[in-house]
Amino acid sequence: MLLEVRNIAVHYRKTAAVKDVSISVADGTIVTLIGNNGAGKTTTLRAITGWKHPSSGEITFDGQRIEKRLPEQINKLGIAHVPEGRRVFAQMTVMENMEMGAYLRRDTAGVRKDMEMVFHHFPILEERQRQLAGTLSGGQQQMVAMGRALMSNPRLIVMDEPSLGLSPIMCQEIARIIRQIHEQGKTIILVEQNARLALSLADRAYVLDTGSVLLEGPSEDLKSNEAVKQAYLGG
Amino acid sequence: MDFSTFTQTLANAIVSGSIYSTVAVGLALGFGVMKMANFAHGEFFMLGAYVVFLLYGEADLPFPVAVLAAFPIVALIGVIVERLIFRPTRGNVLAGFMATAGLAFMLQVLVGQIWGVGLPKSVPTPYMGAAQIGGAFIGWQRLLVVPAAAAMVFALWFFLYRVKAGKALRACAQDPEVAALQGISISRVTMLAMFIAGGYAGVAGALMAPIQPVTPYMGHDVIVTAFIIVIVGGMESIGGSVLAAFILGTIHTFVTTLVDGVTATMAGVALMALILIVKPEGLLGRTRA
Repeated sequence: MLLEVRNIAVHYRKTAAVKDVSISVADGTIVTLIGNNGAGKTTTLRAITGWKHPSSGEITFDGQRIEKRLPEQINKLGIAHVPEGRRVFAQMTVMENMEMGAYLRRDTAGVRKDMEMVFHHFPILEERQRQLAGTLSGGQQQMVAMGRALMSNPRLIVMDEPSLGLSPIMCQEIARIIRQIHEQGKTIILVEQNARLALSLADRAYVLDTGSVLLEGPSEDLKSNEAVKQAYLGG
Repeated sequence: MDFSTFTQTLANAIVSGSIYSTVAVGLALGFGVMKMANFAHGEFFMLGAYVVFLLYGEADLPFPVAVLAAFPIVALIGVIVERLIFRPTRGNVLAGFMATAGLAFMLQVLVGQIWGVGLPKSVPTPYMGAAQIGGAFIGWQRLLVVPAAAAMVFALWFFLYRVKAGKALRACAQDPEVAALQGISISRVTMLAMFIAGGYAGVAGALMAPIQPVTPYMGHDVIVTAFIIVIVGGMESIGGSVLAAFILGTIHTFVTTLVDGVTATMAGVALMALILIVKPEGLLGRTRA
């Protein structure tokens, strides 16, 4: 397993946002976490990338324990985070956003190659590279956030609600790009409200409810599960 | 006001705008990265003036050496107080206010204890003589402040917009959490911001040491004006601070010449109030999404 999350709990002050979550992510797969608001999806992702440290439990990435490390150390190990709400550096150009994604890298040639790869995925970003990221449309900002994550040349990318607030056409576009990125060998953890989209992309899925894992299994199985259909796929 | 008085006042306004720019950009930088209003920033200015008093006035080192030395010395003091005093209060606005305001008093008293509070320290003028421009005489010492400040502001702009570490500083000011996710160390960026803020205020004080009386309390007027500038300019905006510094420097100098200093300060505060009513985010500030 590339990533193992074992029985983590995460607290905001005294409230547990995550009570007991365990997740296994095999190298080269897409794993999705689905569930309602407040189920603990975002918090689980934040625990993985060091944004919020778990109060108990273990997280192992590529054989190393990471649950107590700082975000900047985890980035260096090869995990990138596409945050909820995109969170691009609005007052910086598209190009500068990409540079920040590659902040820790010293391999200039590799960075240039990844820049080309990002522009291949998102041709519009190449056109807009000198524009301030804050002036772009929501979908384009999502591309900036994804491009920025790719620029660190990560092995694992966690994506938090990449389709949130986007038009159906843009959602399809983002889904297509997630597939492309996956085909290039990146492992992905995808958090989505849009369960239908998430299950169509993922190999394996976890259903979270009020901070715990309710169900887990191959996406195909969950898609036909009656309870999942009822609760998350609109019957 | 005749023409030569006008040019004289305008020249003074440019000098004061220049010096306020270098003080205010540091304050804006600290505010951007640490979200903290550093009330001890004026004392960094004062310490810079004391560096010149000691190294140039007392130890007879060349004036440029003393001014340049003020940068690392005050910058280092900035880094140390950030680590020891500011960082523990991070995220607590009230504690941050107490810590920085308290530090301001401590530095005033400390300097007063060591070098005395009585007569202002007189620093001999290194560059005598004056340039005659449009009927006005402007001392070389004052004139020197303008290119020095311009070079400092340009250097800061270059650093923030062309150097990777400077860009990381901007990223951190915009969204520290997400900056950390990119591998940027918030602690190191904070240290860097304090280094620059301290160094810039220090050099500003150093440049002014031969021009204004050097006392432990000289930072007080500076900090009030600098805060007005930063608020008018738009809190975290470097460009806004420079613009506001020149606007305020001009208003302050002209009102002082035409009326008096107290009225000038009132005019400055009135301007701030007006800007806050019309454009609460400041001249070049941005509204937060």
